[in-house]
Amino acid sequence: MTSHPGAIGPPGIAKTRGGGERRFDAAALGATPFLVILAAWWLLPHLVQYPPYMLPSIGTVLDYARESIRDGSLARDVLASIGRLALGFAIGMALAIPLGLAIALNRYVAETFRPVLSFLQAIAGIAWVPLTIIWFGIGNGSVIFVIANTIFFASLYNTVTGVQSIPTSLYRAVRSHGGRGWALLTNLILPGALVQLLVGMRTSMAYGWRALVASEMIAGSNGLGFMTMEAVQWQRTDVIILGMIVIGLIWMVMDRTIFTAIERRTVGRWGLLQR
Amino acid sequence: MLLLLGAWQLSVPLVGMSSYFYPAPADVFAAFVDLVRKGILPVYLADSVLRYLTGMVAGATLGIAAGVLIGVHRTAALALSPLLKFLFAIVEVAWIPIFVVWFGYGIETIVLALIYVVFFPVLYNTLLGVRTAPQILVNAVRSLGASRADVLRLVILPSALPGIITGLRLGAGFAFRGLVFAEMVAAKTGIGYLIFEGAQSQQTARTIVGMIVMGLLWLAIDQFYLRPIERATIQTWGLTVDAAERT
Repeated sequence: MTSHPGAIGPPGIAKTRGGGERRFDAAALGATPFLVILAAWWLLPHLVQYPPYMLPSIGTVLDYARESIRDGSLARDVLASIGRLALGFAIGMALAIPLGLAIALNRYVAETFRPVLSFLQAIAGIAWVPLTIIWFGIGNGSVIFVIANTIFFASLYNTVTGVQSIPTSLYRAVRSHGGRGWALLTNLILPGALVQLLVGMRTSMAYGWRALVASEMIAGSNGLGFMTMEAVQWQRTDVIILGMIVIGLIWMVMDRTIFTAIERRTVGRWGLLQR
Repeated sequence: MLLLLGAWQLSVPLVGMSSYFYPAPADVFAAFVDLVRKGILPVYLADSVLRYLTGMVAGATLGIAAGVLIGVHRTAALALSPLLKFLFAIVEVAWIPIFVVWFGYGIETIVLALIYVVFFPVLYNTLLGVRTAPQILVNAVRSLGASRADVLRLVILPSALPGIITGLRLGAGFAFRGLVFAEMVAAKTGIGYLIFEGAQSQQTARTIVGMIVMGLLWLAIDQFYLRPIERATIQTWGLTVDAAERT
């Protein structure tokens, strides 16, 4: 559908020329909006009247954070979410890569599957939740189905375009040296498609992460999404805000450790990414 | 496609489960006719489309404005980047519970979530586009006496356009998923609500009608919105490698 992944994450800020002092300036500037928000959050109850459940004080959120860390409930929710994401990701990729290769390499497979797949792809993963609740009940089965479904379609597309982006001249070169079958696959097609697949993985994960939180909200029995949505019923905004912050932090950590590392080792080295 | 439909219809008696668990295509068609005749489906569809368009337009406008600002203004970039990075990481889905507490179930919550989800891909791709504006052109135009506003209009915006388009396409995809989810948890009308409510009230056939309508809606958006702008802009400028070129 989309032809190239584009940026779904923040590109780096242009490099500063100066040394330590300028870096300090940048950090101070970057911290300012956070401080302004914190100050406003702290001041607001003194300025306007509103029921405390609408926006709890910073202290309340911190108290809840401390409490949930101490009794281990936060760690349980985080681990449950990450475990589901990992499993859904593994299932989705395990299905997407072989089928993607088959579609890209064989016209009959492509013609047969294309209409069905492009229609199923249009039914975004999360729309399956009500059905999966009926099929698998509330809990792991439903959530993992939705993540695997989401990852599958995002990666399928990237596998196909990855294979298709391999220049024809390379095919001819390998073929003219007698490469075919398994040798063609392992020497040209897999490495050739890998870059696109890895770049696209970030988009897949971005979709998968949303699918995880979203499906936990509707069909989960624990996990971060469940934690925040459940809190709406009790008007526990402190729980909601803590959940949001944790969701943000986990994504930042995942993005930085996994994807930036992958990008540096593959895309950066092969010169596909212009910086 | 037909084969799949046939297999689905034939498998129903074989599976032998209730239509609540596994409805047949005929049930789904009946549910579709029923929903149209009662006027539910057209209203829901109109609501969904309205919310989607409102969120897209507002989110894209904000995203382009912020992207250009951050792209041309260094201090703004340094000040806002960390905050935006953090907000970007808190996916829109995670905002929905607190929006529900603040604004209740309805269009405000949904449109806000859509603005939020469209904003970031448009912002970041606009930013990439602005960065690609060649400095040499900026200098050339400046030396011919152009003001800052002229530079923006003559050099920066045209260079950023492909980025903006990419951002709009990405945003459209994320927003569509966001719409369906937001309608499931925070609405009383709309296609997402139809899908969710059908299952809740054990009218599984309605859920499937909702899913099919949703799929068709996305295909329509893809066909009549995304592809035309792609054809009109990106391909003319040779930004995409058309798969057909290979063969």
